[in-house]
Amino acid sequence: MPAWVVAFGVTLGYLLVSLVVGLLSGRRASSGPEGYIAGDRSLGFVLMYFIMGASIFSAFSFLGGPGWAYSRGAAAFYILSYATVGLIPWYAYGPRVARLGRRFGYVTQAELFAHRFDSRWLSAALAIISLVAFVPYLVLQMQGAGYVFNVVTEGRVPHWLGAAIAYGVVLTYVLASGVMGVGWTNTFQGVFMMVLAWGLGLYLPYRLYGGVGPMFQELAAAVPEMLAPPGLDGAGDRWSWGGYSSAIAVSAIGFSLWPHYFMKIYTASSERVLKKTIIFYPTFQVFLIPIIFIGFSGILRYRDVVPADAILPTILMSMQLPPFVVGLFCAGALAASMSTGDALLHAAGSIMVRDFVCVLSPRALSDGEQTRLIRVLVLVISAFAYYFAVVSELSLVALLLLAYGFLVQIAPVLVATFYWPRATPQGVLSGLAVGCSVVILFYYVPVLQWQQVQPGIFGLVANLITLVAVSLLTEPMDEAHVEQFVVS
Amino acid sequence: MRRSPRFFSRRLTARERLVYGAATFWFLTVSAALVWPLYTPFARVRPFVLGVPFALAFLAGVLIASFAAGVALYRWESRRGFLDRDVSD
Repeated sequence: MPAWVVAFGVTLGYLLVSLVVGLLSGRRASSGPEGYIAGDRSLGFVLMYFIMGASIFSAFSFLGGPGWAYSRGAAAFYILSYATVGLIPWYAYGPRVARLGRRFGYVTQAELFAHRFDSRWLSAALAIISLVAFVPYLVLQMQGAGYVFNVVTEGRVPHWLGAAIAYGVVLTYVLASGVMGVGWTNTFQGVFMMVLAWGLGLYLPYRLYGGVGPMFQELAAAVPEMLAPPGLDGAGDRWSWGGYSSAIAVSAIGFSLWPHYFMKIYTASSERVLKKTIIFYPTFQVFLIPIIFIGFSGILRYRDVVPADAILPTILMSMQLPPFVVGLFCAGALAASMSTGDALLHAAGSIMVRDFVCVLSPRALSDGEQTRLIRVLVLVISAFAYYFAVVSELSLVALLLLAYGFLVQIAPVLVATFYWPRATPQGVLSGLAVGCSVVILFYYVPVLQWQQVQPGIFGLVANLITLVAVSLLTEPMDEAHVEQFVVS
Repeated sequence: MRRSPRFFSRRLTARERLVYGAATFWFLTVSAALVWPLYTPFARVRPFVLGVPFALAFLAGVLIASFAAGVALYRWESRRGFLDRDVSD
Protein backbone atom coordinates (compact mmCIF):
# COMPACT_ATOMS: atom_id res chain seq x y z
CA MET A 1 0.00 0.00 0.00
CA PRO A 2 1.44 3.46 -0.90
CA ALA A 3 2.69 5.45 2.10
CA TRP A 4 0.38 8.39 1.43
CA VAL A 5 -2.68 6.12 1.60
CA VAL A 6 -1.69 4.98 5.12
CA ALA A 7 -1.07 8.57 6.27
CA PHE A 8 -4.33 9.72 4.67
CA GLY A 9 -6.16 6.84 6.36
CA VAL A 10 -4.82 7.83 9.79
CA THR A 11 -5.94 11.43 9.20
CA LEU A 12 -9.41 10.35 8.11
CA GLY A 13 -9.60 8.06 11.16
CA TYR A 14 -8.88 11.04 13.39
CA LEU A 15 -11.65 13.01 11.64
CA LEU A 16 -14.10 10.17 12.17
CA VAL A 17 -13.33 9.99 15.91
CA SER A 18 -13.75 13.78 16.19
CA LEU A 19 -17.11 13.56 14.45
CA VAL A 20 -18.41 10.78 16.68
CA VAL A 21 -17.22 12.53 19.87
CA GLY A 22 -18.75 15.81 18.72
CA LEU A 23 -22.11 14.31 17.83
CA LEU A 24 -22.46 12.19 20.96
CA SER A 25 -21.57 15.04 23.32
CA GLY A 26 -24.49 17.31 22.47
CA ARG A 27 -27.15 14.96 23.77
CA ARG A 28 -27.11 16.21 27.34
CA ALA A 29 -27.59 19.96 26.71
CA SER A 30 -31.00 21.64 26.38
CA SER A 31 -32.14 22.80 22.94
CA GLY A 32 -32.46 26.57 23.64
CA PRO A 33 -29.74 29.25 23.27
CA GLU A 34 -28.55 28.74 26.88
CA GLY A 35 -27.91 25.05 26.18
CA TYR A 36 -26.49 25.59 22.69
CA ILE A 37 -24.25 28.57 23.58
CA ALA A 38 -23.47 28.17 27.30
CA GLY A 39 -23.95 24.41 27.81
CA ASP A 40 -26.60 25.15 30.46
CA ARG A 41 -23.74 26.67 32.57
CA SER A 42 -22.76 23.18 33.63
CA LEU A 43 -19.18 22.60 32.40
CA GLY A 44 -16.72 21.08 34.86
CA PHE A 45 -12.97 21.58 35.19
CA VAL A 46 -11.76 19.07 32.57
CA LEU A 47 -14.00 20.41 29.80
CA MET A 48 -13.25 24.04 30.69
CA TYR A 49 -9.50 23.35 30.78
CA PHE A 50 -9.44 21.74 27.35
CA ILE A 51 -11.83 24.22 25.73
CA MET A 52 -9.60 27.09 26.84
CA GLY A 53 -6.35 25.30 26.06
CA ALA A 54 -7.23 23.77 22.72
CA SER A 55 -9.02 26.88 21.45
CA ILE A 56 -5.81 28.90 21.66
CA PHE A 57 -3.67 26.05 20.33
CA SER A 58 -4.50 26.91 16.75
CA ALA A 59 -3.06 26.19 13.33
CA PHE A 60 -0.97 29.30 13.95
CA SER A 61 0.59 27.72 17.05
CA PHE A 62 1.21 24.36 15.39
CA LEU A 63 2.55 25.60 12.05
CA GLY A 64 3.20 29.32 12.66
CA GLY A 65 4.99 28.83 16.02
CA PRO A 66 7.75 26.68 14.52
CA GLY A 67 7.75 29.02 11.51
CA TRP A 68 8.48 32.02 13.73
CA ALA A 69 11.26 30.21 15.62
CA TYR A 70 12.76 29.04 12.32
CA SER A 71 12.71 32.40 10.55
CA ARG A 72 12.83 34.93 13.42
CA GLY A 73 14.54 33.01 16.24
CA ALA A 74 13.90 34.33 19.75
CA ALA A 75 11.11 36.59 18.46
CA ALA A 76 8.97 33.44 18.83
CA PHE A 77 9.36 33.70 22.61
CA TYR A 78 6.69 36.38 22.52
CA ILE A 79 4.06 33.67 21.94
CA LEU A 80 5.06 31.91 25.16
CA SER A 81 5.23 35.22 27.06
CA TYR A 82 1.76 36.54 26.35
CA ALA A 83 0.15 33.16 26.85
CA THR A 84 1.72 32.94 30.33
CA VAL A 85 -0.14 35.96 31.69
CA GLY A 86 -3.00 36.35 29.23
CA LEU A 87 -5.70 34.62 31.25
CA ILE A 88 -4.78 35.98 34.71
CA PRO A 89 -7.21 38.97 34.53
CA TRP A 90 -10.05 36.45 34.54
CA TYR A 91 -9.18 35.59 38.13
CA ALA A 92 -10.19 39.12 39.12
CA TYR A 93 -13.35 39.64 37.07
CA GLY A 94 -14.29 36.17 35.75
CA PRO A 95 -16.45 35.08 38.72
CA ARG A 96 -18.32 38.41 38.66
CA VAL A 97 -19.00 37.92 34.94
CA ALA A 98 -20.23 34.37 35.59
CA ARG A 99 -22.55 35.49 38.41
CA LEU A 100 -24.01 38.34 36.37
CA GLY A 101 -24.48 35.89 33.51
CA ARG A 102 -26.52 33.57 35.71
CA ARG A 103 -28.52 36.44 37.15
CA PHE A 104 -29.39 38.20 33.89
CA GLY A 105 -29.12 35.30 31.43
CA TYR A 106 -26.12 36.56 29.41
CA VAL A 107 -24.42 34.16 27.05
CA THR A 108 -22.18 36.61 25.15
CA GLN A 109 -19.65 39.30 26.05
CA ALA A 110 -21.59 42.19 24.52
CA GLU A 111 -24.78 41.35 26.43
CA LEU A 112 -22.99 42.16 29.67
CA PHE A 113 -21.49 45.45 28.44
CA ALA A 114 -24.67 46.53 26.65
CA HIS A 115 -26.71 45.97 29.80
CA ARG A 116 -24.21 47.78 32.03
CA PHE A 117 -24.22 50.81 29.72
CA ASP A 118 -27.83 50.42 28.62
CA SER A 119 -26.84 50.75 24.97
CA ARG A 120 -27.88 48.48 22.12
CA TRP A 121 -25.47 50.36 19.84
CA LEU A 122 -22.61 49.22 22.04
CA SER A 123 -23.84 45.66 21.56
CA ALA A 124 -23.98 46.05 17.78
CA ALA A 125 -20.54 47.71 17.68
CA LEU A 126 -18.98 44.88 19.71
CA ALA A 127 -20.66 42.29 17.45
CA ILE A 128 -19.07 43.91 14.40
CA ILE A 129 -15.64 44.10 16.08
CA SER A 130 -15.97 40.41 17.03
CA LEU A 131 -16.85 39.37 13.50
CA VAL A 132 -14.01 41.43 12.01
CA ALA A 133 -11.62 39.73 14.44
CA PHE A 134 -13.02 36.23 13.90
CA VAL A 135 -13.16 35.93 10.12
CA PRO A 136 -9.44 36.30 9.31
CA TYR A 137 -8.59 34.00 12.22
CA LEU A 138 -11.08 31.43 10.94
CA VAL A 139 -9.77 31.72 7.39
CA LEU A 140 -6.24 30.96 8.61
CA GLN A 141 -7.53 27.81 10.34
CA MET A 142 -9.24 26.66 7.14
CA GLN A 143 -6.13 27.34 5.08
CA GLY A 144 -4.12 25.32 7.61
CA ALA A 145 -6.53 22.38 7.27
CA GLY A 146 -6.37 22.50 3.46
CA TYR A 147 -2.59 22.63 3.62
CA VAL A 148 -2.42 19.56 5.88
CA PHE A 149 -4.52 17.43 3.52
CA ASN A 150 -2.44 18.58 0.58
CA VAL A 151 0.78 17.55 2.35
CA VAL A 152 -0.47 14.17 3.61
CA THR A 153 -1.70 13.09 0.17
CA GLU A 154 1.41 14.41 -1.58
CA GLY A 155 -0.65 16.95 -3.52
CA ARG A 156 -3.49 14.62 -4.56
CA VAL A 157 -6.13 16.37 -2.43
CA PRO A 158 -6.20 20.09 -3.35
CA HIS A 159 -6.35 22.75 -0.65
CA TRP A 160 -10.00 23.58 -1.34
CA LEU A 161 -11.11 19.98 -0.91
CA GLY A 162 -9.03 19.45 2.24
CA ALA A 163 -10.50 22.54 3.90
CA ALA A 164 -13.97 21.42 2.85
CA ILE A 165 -13.52 17.93 4.34
CA ALA A 166 -12.17 19.17 7.69
CA TYR A 167 -14.69 21.96 8.08
CA GLY A 168 -17.54 19.75 6.89
CA VAL A 169 -16.85 17.67 10.00
CA VAL A 170 -16.55 20.78 12.19
CA LEU A 171 -19.83 22.19 10.89
CA THR A 172 -21.62 18.90 11.49
CA TYR A 173 -20.78 18.71 15.18
CA VAL A 174 -21.05 22.47 15.84
CA LEU A 175 -24.52 22.58 14.26
CA ALA A 176 -25.67 19.43 16.04
CA SER A 177 -24.11 19.83 19.48
CA GLY A 178 -23.19 23.49 20.06
CA VAL A 179 -20.72 24.24 22.82
CA MET A 180 -20.86 20.68 24.19
CA GLY A 181 -19.62 19.38 20.84
CA VAL A 182 -16.86 22.00 20.87
CA GLY A 183 -15.92 21.06 24.46
CA TRP A 184 -15.64 17.29 24.09
CA THR A 185 -13.89 17.37 20.71
CA ASN A 186 -11.46 19.94 22.14
CA THR A 187 -10.71 17.55 25.00
CA PHE A 188 -9.91 14.77 22.57
CA GLN A 189 -7.96 17.10 20.27
CA GLY A 190 -6.15 18.76 23.19
CA VAL A 191 -4.76 15.48 24.54
CA PHE A 192 -3.76 14.50 21.03
CA MET A 193 -1.90 17.79 20.44
CA MET A 194 -0.10 17.65 23.79
CA VAL A 195 1.31 14.20 23.09
CA LEU A 196 2.30 15.14 19.57
CA ALA A 197 3.90 18.50 20.50
CA TRP A 198 6.15 16.95 23.15
CA GLY A 199 6.90 13.92 20.98
CA LEU A 200 8.03 15.98 18.00
CA GLY A 201 9.63 18.76 20.07
CA LEU A 202 11.98 16.31 21.76
CA TYR A 203 12.40 13.82 18.91
CA LEU A 204 13.42 16.25 16.15
CA PRO A 205 16.30 17.92 18.09
CA TYR A 206 17.46 14.44 19.14
CA ARG A 207 17.36 13.09 15.60
CA LEU A 208 18.98 16.15 13.99
CA TYR A 209 21.48 17.23 16.69
CA GLY A 210 21.63 14.52 19.36
CA GLY A 211 19.37 16.36 21.81
CA VAL A 212 17.93 19.74 22.82
CA GLY A 213 21.14 20.84 24.60
CA PRO A 214 23.46 20.04 21.68
CA MET A 215 21.03 21.76 19.30
CA PHE A 216 21.15 25.04 21.21
CA GLN A 217 24.94 24.79 21.67
CA GLU A 218 25.36 24.46 17.92
CA LEU A 219 22.93 27.31 17.24
CA ALA A 220 24.70 29.56 19.78
CA ALA A 221 27.99 29.01 17.98
CA ALA A 222 26.60 29.49 14.45
CA VAL A 223 23.75 32.01 14.76
CA PRO A 224 23.80 33.57 18.25
CA GLU A 225 21.59 36.48 17.08
CA MET A 226 18.73 33.98 16.61
CA LEU A 227 18.74 32.94 20.27
CA ALA A 228 18.79 36.34 21.98
CA PRO A 229 15.50 38.26 22.34
CA PRO A 230 13.99 40.22 20.76
CA GLY A 231 15.12 38.11 17.79
CA LEU A 232 14.59 39.16 14.19
CA ASP A 233 11.79 41.03 12.46
CA GLY A 234 9.96 39.87 9.32
CA ALA A 235 12.69 41.29 7.07
CA GLY A 236 15.48 39.46 8.90
CA ASP A 237 16.82 42.54 10.72
CA ARG A 238 17.05 42.88 14.49
CA TRP A 239 13.53 43.36 15.93
CA SER A 240 13.12 46.39 18.19
CA TRP A 241 12.28 46.03 21.88
CA GLY A 242 9.31 48.32 21.21
CA GLY A 243 7.92 45.91 18.62
CA TYR A 244 8.59 42.82 20.74
CA SER A 245 7.23 44.25 24.00
CA SER A 246 4.16 45.85 22.46
CA ALA A 247 3.35 42.62 20.59
CA ILE A 248 3.29 40.86 23.99
CA ALA A 249 1.26 43.68 25.58
CA VAL A 250 -1.37 43.79 22.82
CA SER A 251 -1.66 40.01 22.70
CA ALA A 252 -1.80 39.62 26.50
CA ILE A 253 -4.49 42.30 26.86
CA GLY A 254 -6.47 40.98 23.92
CA PHE A 255 -6.08 37.33 24.93
CA SER A 256 -8.70 37.29 27.70
CA LEU A 257 -11.00 39.57 25.70
CA TRP A 258 -11.44 37.37 22.63
CA PRO A 259 -15.24 37.10 22.61
CA HIS A 260 -15.20 33.34 21.99
CA TYR A 261 -13.06 32.81 25.12
CA PHE A 262 -14.95 35.36 27.18
CA MET A 263 -18.22 33.53 26.46
CA LYS A 264 -16.78 30.41 28.03
CA ILE A 265 -16.87 32.13 31.43
CA TYR A 266 -20.65 31.66 31.32
CA THR A 267 -20.29 27.91 30.75
CA ALA A 268 -18.48 27.22 34.06
CA SER A 269 -20.56 25.30 36.58
CA SER A 270 -19.09 27.19 39.58
CA GLU A 271 -16.58 29.82 40.68
CA ARG A 272 -14.30 27.03 41.87
CA VAL A 273 -14.24 25.45 38.40
CA LEU A 274 -13.57 28.79 36.74
CA LYS A 275 -10.69 29.73 39.03
CA LYS A 276 -9.14 26.28 38.85
CA THR A 277 -9.20 26.50 35.04
CA ILE A 278 -7.42 29.86 35.16
CA ILE A 279 -4.80 28.60 37.61
CA PHE A 280 -4.03 25.47 35.59
CA TYR A 281 -4.05 27.25 32.25
CA PRO A 282 -0.23 27.82 32.23
CA THR A 283 0.23 24.04 32.31
CA PHE A 284 -1.32 23.95 28.82
CA GLN A 285 1.00 26.74 27.65
CA VAL A 286 4.07 24.67 28.51
CA PHE A 287 3.35 22.90 25.22
CA LEU A 288 4.47 25.96 23.35
CA ILE A 289 8.06 25.18 24.44
CA PRO A 290 8.45 21.99 22.36
CA ILE A 291 6.67 23.78 19.50
CA ILE A 292 9.45 26.40 19.59
CA PHE A 293 12.10 23.62 19.72
CA ILE A 294 10.70 22.25 16.44
CA GLY A 295 11.33 25.55 14.65
CA PHE A 296 14.86 25.93 16.07
CA SER A 297 15.72 22.40 14.96
CA GLY A 298 15.28 23.40 11.31
CA ILE A 299 17.53 26.50 11.28
CA LEU A 300 20.86 24.84 10.51
CA ARG A 301 19.67 21.64 8.84
CA TYR A 302 16.98 23.02 6.50
CA ARG A 303 18.03 26.37 5.11
CA ASP A 304 15.81 28.66 3.01
CA VAL A 305 12.49 26.89 3.51
CA VAL A 306 9.76 29.16 2.11
CA PRO A 307 7.25 29.85 3.53
CA ALA A 308 8.74 29.48 7.00
CA ASP A 309 5.46 28.01 8.28
CA ALA A 310 6.20 24.93 6.15
CA ILE A 311 9.27 24.04 8.23
CA LEU A 312 7.60 21.31 10.30
CA PRO A 313 6.05 19.44 7.33
CA THR A 314 9.31 19.93 5.40
CA ILE A 315 11.35 18.30 8.17
CA LEU A 316 8.90 15.44 8.60
CA MET A 317 8.58 14.66 4.91
CA SER A 318 12.36 14.63 4.50
CA MET A 319 13.00 12.18 7.35
CA GLN A 320 11.50 9.07 5.79
CA LEU A 321 9.31 8.53 8.84
CA PRO A 322 6.79 5.67 8.87
CA PRO A 323 3.58 6.81 7.10
CA PHE A 324 1.59 6.10 10.25
CA VAL A 325 3.65 8.74 12.11
CA VAL A 326 3.25 11.25 9.27
CA GLY A 327 -0.50 10.63 9.45
CA LEU A 328 -0.45 11.27 13.19
CA PHE A 329 1.35 14.57 12.67
CA CYS A 330 -1.19 15.65 10.06
CA ALA A 331 -4.02 14.70 12.40
CA GLY A 332 -2.37 16.79 15.15
CA ALA A 333 -2.13 19.83 12.88
CA LEU A 334 -5.77 19.29 11.88
CA ALA A 335 -6.71 19.06 15.55
CA ALA A 336 -5.03 22.43 16.15
CA SER A 337 -6.93 23.99 13.26
CA MET A 338 -10.30 22.44 14.07
CA SER A 339 -10.22 23.01 17.83
CA THR A 340 -9.87 26.75 17.22
CA GLY A 341 -12.12 26.90 14.17
CA ASP A 342 -15.05 25.18 15.87
CA ALA A 343 -14.99 27.61 18.82
CA LEU A 344 -14.78 30.57 16.42
CA LEU A 345 -17.67 29.37 14.26
CA HIS A 346 -19.86 28.61 17.25
CA ALA A 347 -19.12 32.00 18.81
CA ALA A 348 -19.50 33.98 15.57
CA GLY A 349 -23.00 32.64 14.91
CA SER A 350 -24.05 33.11 18.54
CA ILE A 351 -22.71 36.67 18.75
CA MET A 352 -24.28 37.84 15.49
CA VAL A 353 -27.69 36.58 16.60
CA ARG A 354 -27.63 37.63 20.26
CA ASP A 355 -25.69 40.89 19.97
CA PHE A 356 -26.69 42.15 16.55
CA VAL A 357 -29.93 40.64 15.23
CA CYS A 358 -31.73 40.38 18.59
CA VAL A 359 -30.90 43.92 19.73
CA LEU A 360 -31.77 45.57 16.41
CA SER A 361 -34.78 43.40 15.55
CA PRO A 362 -38.13 45.17 15.99
CA ARG A 363 -39.64 42.04 17.61
CA ALA A 364 -38.27 39.61 20.20
CA LEU A 365 -37.09 36.27 18.80
CA SER A 366 -38.13 33.09 20.57
CA ASP A 367 -35.51 30.67 21.91
CA GLY A 368 -36.21 28.27 19.06
CA GLU A 369 -35.88 31.01 16.43
CA GLN A 370 -32.60 32.17 17.94
CA THR A 371 -31.06 28.69 17.93
CA ARG A 372 -32.18 28.10 14.34
CA LEU A 373 -30.81 31.48 13.24
CA ILE A 374 -27.49 30.80 14.98
CA ARG A 375 -27.18 27.57 12.99
CA VAL A 376 -27.97 29.38 9.75
CA LEU A 377 -25.37 32.07 10.51
CA VAL A 378 -22.77 29.46 11.43
CA LEU A 379 -23.26 28.09 7.90
CA VAL A 380 -23.16 31.54 6.27
CA ILE A 381 -20.04 32.65 8.16
CA SER A 382 -18.24 29.39 7.40
CA ALA A 383 -19.09 29.75 3.69
CA PHE A 384 -17.82 33.34 3.77
CA ALA A 385 -14.56 32.30 5.48
CA TYR A 386 -14.20 29.33 3.11
CA TYR A 387 -14.39 31.69 0.12
CA PHE A 388 -11.51 33.75 1.54
CA ALA A 389 -9.58 30.59 2.45
CA VAL A 390 -9.58 29.02 -1.01
CA VAL A 391 -10.46 31.72 -3.55
CA SER A 392 -9.52 35.21 -2.42
CA GLU A 393 -5.98 36.55 -2.85
CA LEU A 394 -6.41 39.05 0.00
CA SER A 395 -3.62 39.06 2.61
CA LEU A 396 -5.36 37.93 5.76
CA VAL A 397 -2.36 37.90 8.02
CA ALA A 398 -2.34 41.67 7.70
CA LEU A 399 -6.05 41.78 8.44
CA LEU A 400 -5.52 39.59 11.51
CA LEU A 401 -3.03 42.07 12.97
CA LEU A 402 -5.54 44.86 12.41
CA ALA A 403 -8.24 42.77 14.07
CA TYR A 404 -6.09 42.30 17.18
CA GLY A 405 -5.71 46.07 17.40
CA PHE A 406 -9.51 46.40 17.42
CA LEU A 407 -9.94 43.66 19.99
CA VAL A 408 -7.71 45.43 22.51
CA GLN A 409 -10.09 48.38 22.39
CA ILE A 410 -12.59 46.31 24.41
CA ALA A 411 -10.29 46.45 27.46
CA PRO A 412 -11.32 49.97 28.59
CA VAL A 413 -15.00 48.96 28.26
CA LEU A 414 -14.38 46.04 30.59
CA VAL A 415 -12.48 48.12 33.15
CA ALA A 416 -15.18 50.80 33.08
CA THR A 417 -17.90 48.16 33.48
CA PHE A 418 -16.60 46.82 36.77
CA TYR A 419 -14.33 49.43 38.27
CA TRP A 420 -15.46 52.95 37.29
CA PRO A 421 -19.06 53.87 38.18
CA ARG A 422 -18.81 57.28 36.52
CA ALA A 423 -18.30 55.80 33.03
CA THR A 424 -21.18 56.56 30.65
CA PRO A 425 -22.48 54.97 27.42
CA GLN A 426 -21.35 58.02 25.45
CA GLY A 427 -17.89 57.67 26.98
CA VAL A 428 -17.38 53.99 26.12
CA LEU A 429 -18.88 54.31 22.62
CA SER A 430 -16.79 57.34 21.69
CA GLY A 431 -13.73 55.69 23.25
CA LEU A 432 -14.27 52.61 21.08
CA ALA A 433 -14.78 54.72 17.96
CA VAL A 434 -11.67 56.83 18.55
CA GLY A 435 -9.56 53.81 19.57
CA CYS A 436 -10.48 51.83 16.44
CA SER A 437 -9.94 54.89 14.22
CA VAL A 438 -6.46 55.44 15.68
CA VAL A 439 -5.63 51.76 15.09
CA ILE A 440 -6.63 52.09 11.41
CA LEU A 441 -4.66 55.34 11.06
CA PHE A 442 -1.46 53.94 12.62
CA TYR A 443 -1.84 50.72 10.69
CA TYR A 444 -2.06 52.37 7.29
CA VAL A 445 0.52 55.07 8.10
CA PRO A 446 3.31 52.94 9.60
CA VAL A 447 5.68 55.89 9.86
CA LEU A 448 3.61 56.96 12.88
CA GLN A 449 4.52 53.73 14.72
CA TRP A 450 7.27 54.98 16.98
CA GLN A 451 9.77 52.20 17.82
CA GLN A 452 7.57 49.70 15.89
CA VAL A 453 5.02 49.81 18.73
CA GLN A 454 1.80 48.03 17.71
CA PRO A 455 -1.09 50.28 16.53
CA GLY A 456 -3.36 48.71 19.18
CA ILE A 457 -1.33 50.38 21.96
CA PHE A 458 -1.78 53.87 20.45
CA GLY A 459 -5.48 53.14 19.98
CA LEU A 460 -5.75 52.01 23.60
CA VAL A 461 -4.27 55.25 24.91
CA ALA A 462 -6.58 57.37 22.73
CA ASN A 463 -9.54 55.21 23.74
CA LEU A 464 -8.85 55.63 27.46
CA ILE A 465 -8.42 59.40 27.24
CA THR A 466 -11.63 59.75 25.22
CA LEU A 467 -13.60 57.45 27.51
CA VAL A 468 -12.64 59.40 30.63
CA ALA A 469 -13.10 62.86 29.06
CA VAL A 470 -16.49 62.14 27.44
CA SER A 471 -17.79 60.33 30.53
CA LEU A 472 -16.95 63.29 32.74
CA LEU A 473 -18.68 65.63 30.30
CA THR A 474 -21.91 63.61 30.11
CA GLU A 475 -24.69 62.76 32.57
CA PRO A 476 -23.85 59.94 35.03
CA MET A 477 -25.91 56.78 34.79
CA ASP A 478 -28.54 55.76 37.34
CA GLU A 479 -26.69 54.80 40.54
CA ALA A 480 -28.88 51.81 41.44
CA HIS A 481 -28.38 50.33 37.96
CA VAL A 482 -24.60 50.83 38.00
CA GLU A 483 -24.22 49.36 41.51
CA GLN A 484 -25.35 45.98 40.17
CA PHE A 485 -22.13 45.75 38.15
CA VAL A 486 -19.31 47.68 39.81
CA VAL A 487 -17.15 46.51 42.68
CA SER A 488 -18.76 47.82 45.85
CA MET B 1 -22.88 58.91 43.47
CA ARG B 2 -19.47 57.30 43.90
CA ARG B 3 -17.27 58.48 41.06
CA SER B 4 -13.82 57.12 41.84
CA PRO B 5 -12.63 53.70 40.66
CA ARG B 6 -12.56 50.88 43.24
CA PHE B 7 -10.63 47.66 42.74
CA PHE B 8 -11.22 45.83 46.05
CA SER B 9 -14.56 45.36 47.79
CA ARG B 10 -15.20 47.16 51.08
CA ARG B 11 -16.46 43.84 52.45
CA LEU B 12 -12.93 42.42 52.51
CA THR B 13 -10.92 42.61 55.74
CA ALA B 14 -7.61 44.47 55.88
CA ARG B 15 -5.72 41.18 55.80
CA GLU B 16 -7.68 39.94 52.81
CA ARG B 17 -7.02 43.17 50.96
CA LEU B 18 -3.34 42.77 51.75
CA VAL B 19 -3.30 39.28 50.23
CA TYR B 20 -5.20 40.37 47.10
CA GLY B 21 -3.03 43.48 46.84
CA ALA B 22 0.12 41.36 47.08
CA ALA B 23 -1.24 38.93 44.46
CA THR B 24 -2.06 41.82 42.12
CA PHE B 25 1.42 43.29 42.62
CA TRP B 26 3.00 39.88 41.97
CA PHE B 27 1.14 39.28 38.72
CA LEU B 28 1.83 42.81 37.48
CA THR B 29 5.54 42.28 38.24
CA VAL B 30 5.49 38.93 36.44
CA SER B 31 3.87 40.59 33.42
CA ALA B 32 6.43 43.42 33.46
CA ALA B 33 9.27 40.88 33.68
CA LEU B 34 8.33 39.57 30.23
CA VAL B 35 8.91 42.86 28.40
CA TRP B 36 11.35 45.75 28.12
CA PRO B 37 12.99 47.00 30.33
CA LEU B 38 12.76 44.32 33.07
CA TYR B 39 13.33 41.43 30.67
CA THR B 40 16.45 42.88 29.00
CA PRO B 41 18.99 41.73 31.67
CA PHE B 42 17.69 38.17 31.22
CA ALA B 43 17.46 38.28 27.42
CA ARG B 44 20.77 36.54 26.79
CA VAL B 45 21.94 33.21 25.45
CA ARG B 46 24.33 32.11 28.22
CA PRO B 47 24.41 30.47 30.66
CA PHE B 48 22.42 27.56 29.34
CA VAL B 49 19.91 26.13 31.81
CA LEU B 50 18.97 22.48 31.33
CA GLY B 51 20.28 22.79 27.79
CA VAL B 52 18.21 25.81 26.73
CA PRO B 53 19.28 29.47 26.37
CA PHE B 54 18.97 31.56 29.51
CA ALA B 55 16.32 33.84 27.94
CA LEU B 56 14.01 30.89 27.26
CA ALA B 57 14.73 29.25 30.62
CA PHE B 58 13.83 32.54 32.32
CA LEU B 59 10.46 32.61 30.55
CA ALA B 60 9.82 28.99 31.54
CA GLY B 61 10.72 29.97 35.12
CA VAL B 62 8.26 32.87 35.01
CA LEU B 63 5.57 30.51 33.76
CA ILE B 64 6.25 28.09 36.62
CA ALA B 65 6.40 30.90 39.19
CA SER B 66 3.13 32.32 37.89
CA PHE B 67 1.50 28.90 38.14
CA ALA B 68 2.86 28.37 41.69
CA ALA B 69 1.59 31.76 42.87
CA GLY B 70 -1.81 31.02 41.33
CA VAL B 71 -2.01 27.67 43.12
CA ALA B 72 -1.07 29.34 46.42
CA LEU B 73 -3.77 32.00 45.98
CA TYR B 74 -6.35 29.38 45.01
CA ARG B 75 -5.53 27.23 48.05
CA TRP B 76 -5.69 30.25 50.36
CA GLU B 77 -9.13 31.16 48.99
CA SER B 78 -10.25 27.55 49.20
CA ARG B 79 -9.21 27.23 52.86
CA ARG B 80 -11.18 30.34 53.75
CA GLY B 81 -14.24 29.13 51.87
CA PHE B 82 -14.00 32.05 49.43
CA LEU B 83 -14.56 29.89 46.38
CA ASP B 84 -18.04 29.05 47.56
CA ARG B 85 -19.25 32.59 48.25
CA ASP B 86 -19.33 36.01 46.64
CA VAL B 87 -15.75 37.22 47.06
CA SER B 88 -14.46 37.83 43.56
CA ASP B 89 -13.95 41.52 44.22
